[in-house]
Amino acid sequence: MWALYLHGLRGIFGIGRSTWAKITAFGILGIALIPAVVQLGVAALSPEDVEVIAPEDYYQTIEPLLAIFCALVAPDLVGRDQRTQTLSLYFSRALRREDYAFARYGAFVTSILVLTVVPQMLMYVGNVAAATDVWGAVRDTWQDIPAILASAFLLSVLVAGIGVAVSSQTTRRSYATVTIVAVFVLATGISTAIFESAGPDDGRYALLFSPFHVVRGMTLWVFGVSPVIHEEDQLYEAGFNGIVYAIDAVVVSLACLALVVRRYRSVSA
Amino acid sequence: MTSLSRDADAAQPAATPAAPLIVAKGLTKRYAKVIALDQFDLELGAGIIGLVGANGAGKSTFIKLLLGLIEPTSGSAQMMGLDVTRQGTTLRQFVGYMPEHDCLPGDATATEFVSHMAQISGLPGAAARERTAETLRHVGLFEARYRPIGGYSTGMKQRVKLAQALVHDPRLVLLDEPTNGLDPQGRDEMLTLIQRIGTEFGVAVILSSHLLSEIERVCDHLVEIEGGRLVRSSPMAELTAATSILLVEVDGEVEALAGYLRDREFSAKVNGRYLLIERDGDAVLDAIRDGVVELDLGLVRMEQGRRRLEELFGAGQEVEFEGVRPD
Repeated sequence: MWALYLHGLRGIFGIGRSTWAKITAFGILGIALIPAVVQLGVAALSPEDVEVIAPEDYYQTIEPLLAIFCALVAPDLVGRDQRTQTLSLYFSRALRREDYAFARYGAFVTSILVLTVVPQMLMYVGNVAAATDVWGAVRDTWQDIPAILASAFLLSVLVAGIGVAVSSQTTRRSYATVTIVAVFVLATGISTAIFESAGPDDGRYALLFSPFHVVRGMTLWVFGVSPVIHEEDQLYEAGFNGIVYAIDAVVVSLACLALVVRRYRSVSA
Repeated sequence: MTSLSRDADAAQPAATPAAPLIVAKGLTKRYAKVIALDQFDLELGAGIIGLVGANGAGKSTFIKLLLGLIEPTSGSAQMMGLDVTRQGTTLRQFVGYMPEHDCLPGDATATEFVSHMAQISGLPGAAARERTAETLRHVGLFEARYRPIGGYSTGMKQRVKLAQALVHDPRLVLLDEPTNGLDPQGRDEMLTLIQRIGTEFGVAVILSSHLLSEIERVCDHLVEIEGGRLVRSSPMAELTAATSILLVEVDGEVEALAGYLRDREFSAKVNGRYLLIERDGDAVLDAIRDGVVELDLGLVRMEQGRRRLEELFGAGQEVEFEGVRPD
């Protein structure tokens, strides 16, 4: 199972694959690093402590990027073996079907983690290093580190879950890609529409189906900021405690994983 | 995660001469409207076993059931003493599979792919690479192994499929139509390879084909499947037993020899240029020799007929002689 995990990881980052695959993966990573670089640049240049992007707001900037990454990579990671019918070879070996699903899922989660954690840690380190009082800054903000890791983990698990669940249902990469984008866009759009029209009391449950809102709420909770603070936010109107979003993220991820496992159990190689 | 350490496994496969290799009891696979496999009851020992039947007869279904790739509707099967449904994961450590269909990724090289498969089967990195190199050599892929599989010919792809089935040192390999899509020379090479696997490497082989000649050439046991039902399962020796017909070809008057033999109470039939003589003991051989000498004929050929597989599956009890057709 470990070998399969590593193989999946290598495939995602295009190692050993075509140049195009490498460009896609590292290109997106590069784009993801831009906000971090900007932040560092500003912090370095300005004499005061400046935060261009608060850590808990970070995800909003890169969410679309993550969705695109998911849509491009997941179908390849998961759909390939179905298309080339290599699954027969995998399942005729001493590999349980669940193990296959877990390995692929794990590789994908790891790759998204890289995309989310690396830039953030870079920003954090940069901010701290550029502060006038380094140790003071560290003492004040060290709790950000576990928060970064936890939120990144929840985010990765959720996004990866959606990507893998959708991709495993079809062998055609293009269908999977489009469907993933649709899931992210439509879920967000429809949820927001329902919320706006139904009013905060009834409509707020719709927000739980919108990936972006869930991510935002969950992130705010992890960072210890109540979602009810930012008044212009829809989350404020929804009035959920942050932990609800976190639980939602976990539940959806588990549901996606279950879907994937079920799919691989039943597919006849 | 499954433990892939063979030593640690409590259940070890067994295929001693006493214990059968494969046992199927009432094995049935039913799809919505079709019964793909109907109440299979079968016991097979080690060796090279041929599964023969028309396309769609159920050969692939049987193989997939044995591998646990599909679930039986009812019945059970065991390979090497391990139940295919309940102990499938353990069992598959010792089994290799070469599917009928295309299953190779285009962009990996043979070495990469087979090595990857070896690792999936539990071999650690260095051992996997070593075994890969060895296996690829055995199947006859040399420099080509460093090129992407996408550019291979069908013959080479079949070899890669075979290699990945062998790389983890299985005790039993299941080959589904291994000569599919190969030209005559390719078929020949593949069959020779399969024969070597069965004999030299001591690996039990189950091979499916719709071509009788292939099965006849390589296998020592035959299982016939038709319409999902088991028609027969017998050792090859029984099926192609020597018959008691002698074919004689002489350079000269055939009728004369026929008469000579009949005078001595042997039954001889003239068939065109040849004589078909019933053999009941060795006395007739001496008679033929004496007759040829006395009549001053040149003896061109004397051959024992063997029943060919075809006539068992077709109609009639014709006797086939190598290269000769009695008309």
